[in-house]
Amino acid sequence: MTARLAVAFAWLAAVVTVVFLMAPLATVVAASFSPSPVFDLPLDGVSLRWYERIGRLDGFWPALSLSLQIAVLSTAIALVIGTLAAIAIVRGRLPGAEALATALVSPLMMPGLVLGIALLQYFRAIGFTATWSALVLAHLIVTLPYVARTMIAGLALFDFTLVEAARTLGCTYAGAILRVMVPALAPSFLTAGLFSFLASFDNYPVSIFLTDVRTKTLPIKMLQYIEEAPDPTLAALSTLILAATVILLVASDRLIGLHRMAGTAE
Amino acid sequence: MSSPDGAPHVVIRSVSKRYGPLTVLDRVDLTVARGELVTLLGPSGCGKTTLLRLVAGLATPEEGAIAIAGRDVTRVPPHRRNVGVVFQSYALFPHLTVAGNVAFGLAVRGRPREEIDRAVARTLSLVRLEHLGSRRVSALSGGQQQRVALARALAVEPEVLLFDEALSALDRNLREDMQVELRRLLREIGATAIFVTHDQDEALTMSDRIAVMNGGRIEQLADPKTLYARPATLFTLGFVGQSTRVRGTVAAAADGVVTVDTPVGRLSAMGHFAAGSPVVVAARPEHLNVVADAAGHDGGDRARNRVDGRVRAVIFQGSRSRIEVEAGGETLLAELPGRGAADLRPGDDARLVWPVAETFVYPDPEARP
Repeated sequence: MTARLAVAFAWLAAVVTVVFLMAPLATVVAASFSPSPVFDLPLDGVSLRWYERIGRLDGFWPALSLSLQIAVLSTAIALVIGTLAAIAIVRGRLPGAEALATALVSPLMMPGLVLGIALLQYFRAIGFTATWSALVLAHLIVTLPYVARTMIAGLALFDFTLVEAARTLGCTYAGAILRVMVPALAPSFLTAGLFSFLASFDNYPVSIFLTDVRTKTLPIKMLQYIEEAPDPTLAALSTLILAATVILLVASDRLIGLHRMAGTAE
Repeated sequence: MSSPDGAPHVVIRSVSKRYGPLTVLDRVDLTVARGELVTLLGPSGCGKTTLLRLVAGLATPEEGAIAIAGRDVTRVPPHRRNVGVVFQSYALFPHLTVAGNVAFGLAVRGRPREEIDRAVARTLSLVRLEHLGSRRVSALSGGQQQRVALARALAVEPEVLLFDEALSALDRNLREDMQVELRRLLREIGATAIFVTHDQDEALTMSDRIAVMNGGRIEQLADPKTLYARPATLFTLGFVGQSTRVRGTVAAAADGVVTVDTPVGRLSAMGHFAAGSPVVVAARPEHLNVVADAAGHDGGDRARNRVDGRVRAVIFQGSRSRIEVEAGGETLLAELPGRGAADLRPGDDARLVWPVAETFVYPDPEARP
C-alpha cells in the first residue's frame, strides 16, 4: 500500500515537474501564432504574421549571423583544445591533473555576469578592443567546460589499447588516432559540440559586456526588440529557435542515441 | 632443451628495458622457432608483458636486438612489423562490425575489396564465427569477442602471433575449452606464437616451451614436462605446480646425490652441493606415498626417502586428497589420488615414502653464511 502511494506520488511529482518546465515553452509557441499584437488565451484564430515580420526586424540578420559565427567558431576551437586537454588529464601522468580538470570546468559554476565584467575589465586593461575576437574568446571560456567535461568522461571510458591494436594492424600513430580513436569517440564529440554550440548561441550575460552598438549577438538583440516593441514577433523567433534545437536533438538521437550522449550507457 | 623443428623465427638477443630507475627486463635471450608456441609465464611485474610489447614494437628496448623472420626489427615501428596481437581486453573497435574488425588490418594495407572479403570469410570460419560477420562487436559474448580478436590478428597473416593474457578475461570453463581449441587451431595453421600468462595451467596446456620469468629475467626455459619434472630453480618449483619443502644442511655428496640433514630426518636428493651448504629439499606432493603403518616394510632400499610422522589433516578435494604430515616440527604435504586417503585419520602415525630421483635440492635463498 505504502509502495503504491509512493509510486503514485512519484508520478505526480514527475508530471508536475514536466508541466512546470514545459508551460512557458508552450505559452511562447501559442503566442507566436496569435493573430493580435496582444497575446490572450484562448487564441481567437491562428496567424503567421509574426513569423513574416522576423526577417524585417531591424538588424536581425547581422545579429543571427554573428551569433552563428561565434557559436560555430568557439565550439570548433573548444573541441580541439578541450579534447587535447582531456587527453592530457586522462592519459598524462601530470601532477595536478585533478586540479586542472576542476579549473577547466569551473566557468560552469561561475555567474556569467562576473565572468563578463571580469573579461570586459581585462580586455580594456590590455587594450584589446576588437569586439568580434573578444566575443569568440569569451565564448571559448563559456564553451570549453562543456567540451572538457564531456571529453574527460568519454576518454575515461576509452580503451587506449584500441590505438595500440590499430598500430599493430598496420596503422601509423596518426592513422590509428584518426581511424579508431576519433570514430570511437564520435558520440562524445557530438555531445560536446552540441552543448557547446547551444551554450554559446544563447549566451547573454557574458556577451552583454563585450558587444558594442554595431556588433550585437542575437540574444542581446532579442532583449532590445522586446523593450522597443513587445509584440509576438519575439515569440515567433523563440519558437523557431526552439524548433531548430529540437531538430538538432532528434537528429543526434537518431545518429548515436541520446542515452549515449547523456553518458548513461556506453 | 627440446625445441620443435624449424628455423629460428623470433630471435630476442640480450634485450634490456628500463623505466626510469626500474629495470623491467635484464638482458633477456629467447629464440622462438617457426611454428613454435612459447609461453612467457610469471607473476605480475616479472617483465613478461614488456617483453611481448617489445616484440610487437609497442615499446623499444634500451639494449639488445629483436629479429623476426631474419629481419632486425629492433627500431621498426609496430605497423611495419607484421605481427598479430591479441590483447587481454581484446581491444575490438566498437564502431565497426565483426567483419569490419577482421578486415581492418587488410583495409589499412589497401588490399582490394575482393581479397579482403575472402580473407574475412576464411578467418571468421577458422574461428567458427562465419555467421556473425555483420554483428556489432558489443553484441557478442566474451568468448565470441575473443575469437573476433583472434580472427582480426590472423587475417593479416602475421609472422608471429602475440597473446597478452588473451584468455584471462574468460570464465574458467570457457577458458579451458579455448586453451585446447586455440592450441589446435594454431597447430593447424602452423603459427609461431608467443603467449603471455600468469596462469600455470594455461602455460602447461598450450605451450611447446615455457619461459618462466622472474624479476626481468628468464629463470628457466623448457618444455612443460621438463619444467614440471625438473624445475631448475626454487622459483620455478614454487610457480609451477605444488611442492612440499624443508630446509637442511648438506651432510655428504657423492655421484650427483646429496644427503641432507633436515628437521624431519636425513634425506637424499639429486644435486651437486658441497657438504655444509644450506639447502632447501623439495618434492612434488603427488610423489609422496603415505604408509599408514610406520612399522611396515617398504623394501628399505636407498632409492627412497622415508619420513615418519603424524597425520595432522586430511583434506578431501574430490579426485584427490591432500594429507598434511607433521614430522620434526615441519609439515610435509602428500597428495593421494582417488580414495587413497580413505582410511587415514588425523593423529594416525604415518610414514612418507618417495623416490630420491623425484627429490629436488636448491640453495637456501634465506641462508647467507
